[in-house]
Amino acid sequence: MELQHRFTVPASVDTTWELFNDLEQVAPCFPGASLTSTDGDDFAGTVKVKLGPISLQYNGTGSFVERDVDSHTARFEARGKDKRGNGTAKAAVRTVLTADGDGTAVEVTTDLAITGKPAQFGRGLMQDVSDKLLATFVGCLSDKLAASGQPAPASEPATEESRLEPASAEPSPQQPAGRRPAEKIDALDLGLTVLPVLARRFGPAALALAAVATLVWWLLRRR
Amino acid sequence: MTATTDAPAMEVGRDRRRKEDHRLITGRTRWTDNLSAPGMLHIAMVRSPVAHATIGSVNVKAAQEASGVIAVVTGEDLADEQGTLPNVWSITPEQKVPPHPSVAVDTVRFAGEIVAVVVARSAAQARDAIELVDVDYDDLPVVLDTRDALADGATILHPDLGTNESAHLVLDFQTEGAAGNVDAVIEAASKDGIVFEREYEQQRLIPAFMEPRSMLCDPTGEQIVLWSATQIPHVLRVLLALSLGISESKLRVVAPDVGGGFGGKLQVTPEEFITVLVARRLGKPCKYTETRSESLMAAHHGRAQHQKLTLAAKKDGTVTGLKVELEADMGAYLSLLGGGTPTLGAFMFNAIYKFDAYRFDLRTAFTNKAWTDAYRGAGRPEATFGIERLMDDFAHELGMDPLELREKNWIRHEEFPFTTVAGLEYDSGNYEAATARAKELFGYDELRAEQAERRDRKDPVQLGIGVSTYTEMCGLAPSRILGALSYAAGGWEHASVRMLPTGKVEVVTGSSAHGQGHETAWSQIAADALGVDFDDIEVLHGDTAVAPRGMDTYGSRSLVVGGMAVVAAAEKVVEKAKVIAAHMLEASPDDVEFAAGAFSVRGTDQAKTMAEVAFAAFAAHDLPDGVEPTLEGDATIDPNTFSYPHGTHLCATEVDTETGQVTIRKYVCVDDIGKVVNPLIVEGQVHGGVVQGIAQALFEEAVYDESGTLITGSFTDYLVPSAADLPTMVTDRTETPATTNPLGVKGVGEAGTIASTPAVVNAAVDALRPYGVDDITMPLSPHRVWRAIQDGADR
Amino acid sequence: MIPARFDYHAPTTLDEAVRLLAGAGDEAKVLAGGQSLLPVLRLRLAAPEVVVDLGRVDELRGVREDGDTLVIGAMTPHAEVAASDVVRRHARVLSEAAATVADPQVRHRGTIGGAIAHADPAGDMPAPVLALGGELVVVGPGGRRTVPADDFFEDLFTTALGDDEILAEVRIPSHQGWGGHYAKFTRVAQQWSIVAVAAAVRTEGGSIAEAKVALTNMGSTVVRATAVEQALVGAEPSDEVVRAAAAQAAEGTSPPSDINGDADFRRNLATVLTRRAVLAAAGS
Repeated sequence: MELQHRFTVPASVDTTWELFNDLEQVAPCFPGASLTSTDGDDFAGTVKVKLGPISLQYNGTGSFVERDVDSHTARFEARGKDKRGNGTAKAAVRTVLTADGDGTAVEVTTDLAITGKPAQFGRGLMQDVSDKLLATFVGCLSDKLAASGQPAPASEPATEESRLEPASAEPSPQQPAGRRPAEKIDALDLGLTVLPVLARRFGPAALALAAVATLVWWLLRRR
Repeated sequence: MTATTDAPAMEVGRDRRRKEDHRLITGRTRWTDNLSAPGMLHIAMVRSPVAHATIGSVNVKAAQEASGVIAVVTGEDLADEQGTLPNVWSITPEQKVPPHPSVAVDTVRFAGEIVAVVVARSAAQARDAIELVDVDYDDLPVVLDTRDALADGATILHPDLGTNESAHLVLDFQTEGAAGNVDAVIEAASKDGIVFEREYEQQRLIPAFMEPRSMLCDPTGEQIVLWSATQIPHVLRVLLALSLGISESKLRVVAPDVGGGFGGKLQVTPEEFITVLVARRLGKPCKYTETRSESLMAAHHGRAQHQKLTLAAKKDGTVTGLKVELEADMGAYLSLLGGGTPTLGAFMFNAIYKFDAYRFDLRTAFTNKAWTDAYRGAGRPEATFGIERLMDDFAHELGMDPLELREKNWIRHEEFPFTTVAGLEYDSGNYEAATARAKELFGYDELRAEQAERRDRKDPVQLGIGVSTYTEMCGLAPSRILGALSYAAGGWEHASVRMLPTGKVEVVTGSSAHGQGHETAWSQIAADALGVDFDDIEVLHGDTAVAPRGMDTYGSRSLVVGGMAVVAAAEKVVEKAKVIAAHMLEASPDDVEFAAGAFSVRGTDQAKTMAEVAFAAFAAHDLPDGVEPTLEGDATIDPNTFSYPHGTHLCATEVDTETGQVTIRKYVCVDDIGKVVNPLIVEGQVHGGVVQGIAQALFEEAVYDESGTLITGSFTDYLVPSAADLPTMVTDRTETPATTNPLGVKGVGEAGTIASTPAVVNAAVDALRPYGVDDITMPLSPHRVWRAIQDGADR
Repeated sequence: MIPARFDYHAPTTLDEAVRLLAGAGDEAKVLAGGQSLLPVLRLRLAAPEVVVDLGRVDELRGVREDGDTLVIGAMTPHAEVAASDVVRRHARVLSEAAATVADPQVRHRGTIGGAIAHADPAGDMPAPVLALGGELVVVGPGGRRTVPADDFFEDLFTTALGDDEILAEVRIPSHQGWGGHYAKFTRVAQQWSIVAVAAAVRTEGGSIAEAKVALTNMGSTVVRATAVEQALVGAEPSDEVVRAAAAQAAEGTSPPSDINGDADFRRNLATVLTRRAVLAAAGS
């Protein structure tokens, strides 16, 4: 199935491009995802999909297959297997950036193929579940970009590896599972879980406010 | 009268409640999954979730170490002994049959294909362990439609074959005196007649029998015993022996009570091969019972054809020629009958009509889906659908009443026996009588009037009437014809009728009932023939050690062939008994009469009952010269011809044009199945058959997504209707006895399904003609109907 | 099919259930009627380590009146809700909807609380509860809280219920005297709703004074058809007038596309079923 998402961020095309090419920033944005290793353009990890009654864990690998700076097009592919043999998932994600005033318009096209039980018994819900997960993924990317007036922490290679820990499966109380990206970078942690909820309720204004608040908090914490 | 006496039949024709029902309904049944053997182990299958891939690696270590696991077996482990699953029907000499391992070795070709086998002490442990088998798949492109499979540059499923086409069969028929073959007839019609073309879709269906497949193999005795919920214990035994190199005399196959099959259990399956191989390897009894979701995914599917029909006719609607072009989807591998299933339809597209020329052009192709094979009707519902849709569509084109068009073209009652353009001789039939009765029961004229009235006031609920005047060819089959068609086996059936010393009877039949009620019907036949009580007769079947000779049950054959074998065997018993009775009565056999279960000397009141004769034959104290002890008769019947039940089904549907919902308002079927042995059983078969045909028309379809996953993987999405969704049918019968067997019976198991699908679709399309609709693809879901109305409005 | 191994608890009080759930952490599931959970466990689409069965918590079961409020215990089976005169009197549309769930076997096991907590977009219980302005009483380690239906259904299979909370009660303000109808569209009798409409209508002097309409399976959660509700105020309960109001039923919805129909078809169904449900409710 093909899923499309679009959003705009108040960051320059170059900043946005940098983020999109940084696996360690991008991958953990997927709900329930955690990287177990990265090696240049390749990565391995797990994705815990928990939505309603269904709880599956996919283990897999992926890599960047294309980066074209001129057209600001990046593609990465990932494939995984459910650890209990319930099927496979394959995603080919293409992001295209275009300048939009001072900001950037981002278009994310995902080709998702899910085999096995979720597709067999899902009553056709895999489309909606995937859409929801993708929307959260995209929302997280958007938040990261909105929150970073400066280069994202990911650009500091020395501390990068140490920040990558296996995802904790327990969401904090009152946070429904599946909306929480796994990466434990504390400041963005809180913001990223709160922001999508706020955005849904109170719209872009709150999003911007929360983004600023998060940024300020992050800056303060780094001192 | 009965087969053996002039006395009126007491049992045949009677509404007997079925003997087998009490145990089936109260749960005292012997389903295969209820069986248990000492030290029995349990099998679970690791199945591919992907539709087409090479297998990179199969890692079984974690599974092997799991609690209770005895063994984990891969395709590589079995490569030397698993052989290939058999196909027994070469529809052409050049037919391509790919190797089909039970456990995939290097490539999987459909989602659900078995890639590893776990054997454990309990079913739960086996189920837990299959999750621990880690298989790496390297995806290959997926082919999901025969059109794509046969196109240039298609991904080839079986590279060694070089093509996805399994066979291309062309049968060209013309009658004596025809102007030429179908091309010539179409050519002529294009000049001064009508050429009418239509394309129809036969969607893929799942037989969805109530009892999932189950099998238990015990290798510990002198014979390897396989109990399996199968329709074909005899065929299975032979093919297991040939394919796995097991000596046939070392193999015994038993079909215990089997909970439905509908053709879906007419198969030699990877699961059965695996169960036997694994049990033999481990030296312990092993059982495998599939889950429902495995069943829907991996037990063979039915139908799945693209159809193109070209009709040539005169301007007044008299048909002259028919060309049929089919693409039939075989799935990933060729099944037991494979292309034979659509081939059976070859002789039925011409149906009850008189054509001068007819061509049947079939291509069978492989796709990355479950394999297909027989499903209730096996080729004939597909054919009847094609021709009956065509006739209704053509009638509309001509502005003629659809029944009038049928009558103009069908074989008239006085023309029987009639040899059709396809070379079959229909022995008897009366389409006029069945149709007249159906019209009467239906209230045809009143419903047409109501239809007109609703159209006038543009009622949002429209009324449609659909016709299906079907015939079918069943009672499979004359062995010589099967040979001519290159089917590997014959079509005979065997029965033994055995008088026990105490006067009770055992009827041993080679047919394998799985819901048809043979125990009851054969008891009725034997009771009449022998003058013995219905309740004193035991019918034994389904076990190759008990009923060693048989060709099993499918193709509406059991009564016509198997029942007649019972008749013939009973006749032999009476003949021998007469000689013994005469000796006991010190009379000549010519002076002895047999009536009401007793042999009497004509003109006296001296008599001996069948029971007394049976005991005398057992004691053998004083038997006439040349007569051997015991009283038993044996007969094997090979039918000379097929039998041809027919009927007229009329369906009235209401279509809610706002929602697309199609409801059946009235369904009338008048079937002619020759003589009736048990009207209750016939009613059951008609009801069940009609319902399965309605289900194809309105509810069921096996749907795959673009990755090749079966997304109708449970009954949530594969919509089998219940009684709540179905109309109350009005059924009746006309009776034109078959002239080709002693009881005059014709078979009814599949007739309902063959007839009903086009009746329902014709009715829905008829309702929507004013909306610019001339066809809707099955199943006629509300969504499709609504969409057709929207599209029709745009035209 | 055999589920994966799990630890099973069958508490007899709500407090005990809450304690068990809180202690079990993330890998626990609550078992109500099991009509949604058991198939998932059998198909191994989930493998919780702990299952807390509420089947013996009698205090969660039953229908009662509490002043002007209809109170239904979360563990009350659909069959009981459908058969209850009290429910029929105060919340006609809920009574009707409960009678349409699946089939009799499911209705005698499945519960109103389980269905609501599960929040399947095609489930029938949320729509009447939302339409009638119901409230959900939720109990957790932190105590009892009440969540209005408007705030309870958040997203696909996602409600305001925390992982350690249990839905205890459904409270619905009495709509005695209102007409109600649940129009459900399926292909086969026991199927999930392709689209369904819950309508409750108060008539006064021959016109519709107030209407409450909620839609099943027109988005990732149940939704109120507020445009329709507004258009129906003071409307004549005639086919023509209601048809015009119902034409807006699909506004603001994002219906799914699946093998039972695409989004366009569902939008069409929503308008047709809304019209039929409102007319039936106004007439009943």
